[in-house]
Amino acid sequence: MASTGEEDSAVKEPLDLIRLSLDERIYVKLRADRELRGKLHAYDQHLNMILGDVEEVTTTVEIDDETYEEIVRTSKRQIPFLFVRGDGVILVSPPLRTS
Amino acid sequence: MSHNPSHLLPSELIDRCIGSKIWVIMKGDKELVGTLRGFDVYVNMVLEDVTEIEITPEGRRITKLDQILLNGNNIAILVPGGGPEV
Amino acid sequence: MSGGSTGAGSKTPADFLKSIRGRPVVVKLNSGVDYRGILACLDGYMNIAMEQTEEYVNGQLKNKYGDAFIRGNNVLYISTSKRTMSEGG
Repeated sequence: MASTGEEDSAVKEPLDLIRLSLDERIYVKLRADRELRGKLHAYDQHLNMILGDVEEVTTTVEIDDETYEEIVRTSKRQIPFLFVRGDGVILVSPPLRTS
Repeated sequence: MSHNPSHLLPSELIDRCIGSKIWVIMKGDKELVGTLRGFDVYVNMVLEDVTEIEITPEGRRITKLDQILLNGNNIAILVPGGGPEV
Repeated sequence: MSGGSTGAGSKTPADFLKSIRGRPVVVKLNSGVDYRGILACLDGYMNIAMEQTEEYVNGQLKNKYGDAFIRGNNVLYISTSKRTMSEGG
């Protein structure tokens, strides 16, 4: 790690993007059409995460038996504090940084 | 006897495909055909002039790609020498 | 599985990854979803950091992210972005 003068704000590897989002609100896309928005308290190299003050959105698509129309339903709920297992994570997006 | 393919290690067989067309069949309904440029111990592969074939209920969907790094994780079968018609 | 440059036009995954940093790429996931954007960096797990990322589902733009981290296990391939039909010329 003792390489060239390394800045704290530099993104040298993908996980730096997560490190720079600590204590910020992030967006997490999970498998099975599940999305989370919450404040990132902690994470590890597997992308296990602790989020606080979370809004969870789940999306389901049903096909109407008669009209064959797709019925998209989203449901939201608030969760004060949770642990995310990293293997379910697809994408993490930090808040927009002004650099 | 060194020319008997059965005496090749799998990785040696793939190595012999470098520079040639190769047909990659993925787990699931997806296949790719392209020129193999290189690979690593996980059989992640660099492919060029790639045709991606997705088999969907609506039929085959074709995508052309310049150069890709294919994740070795979901590869099922490799066929040296190129793919189906296309 | 030569580590280095054997010449002979062999381009290992490591060579490819070095060559595409900072360039526009398409990342396709196993689910079929595409992400188009500028590749910021990646690691040996194929974890990817992208900028100006657009999410396409069935070819339709569904979302935009300023920065995006994509977990490598979902990645099917990383492709150099081809200037195709979208640019008329």
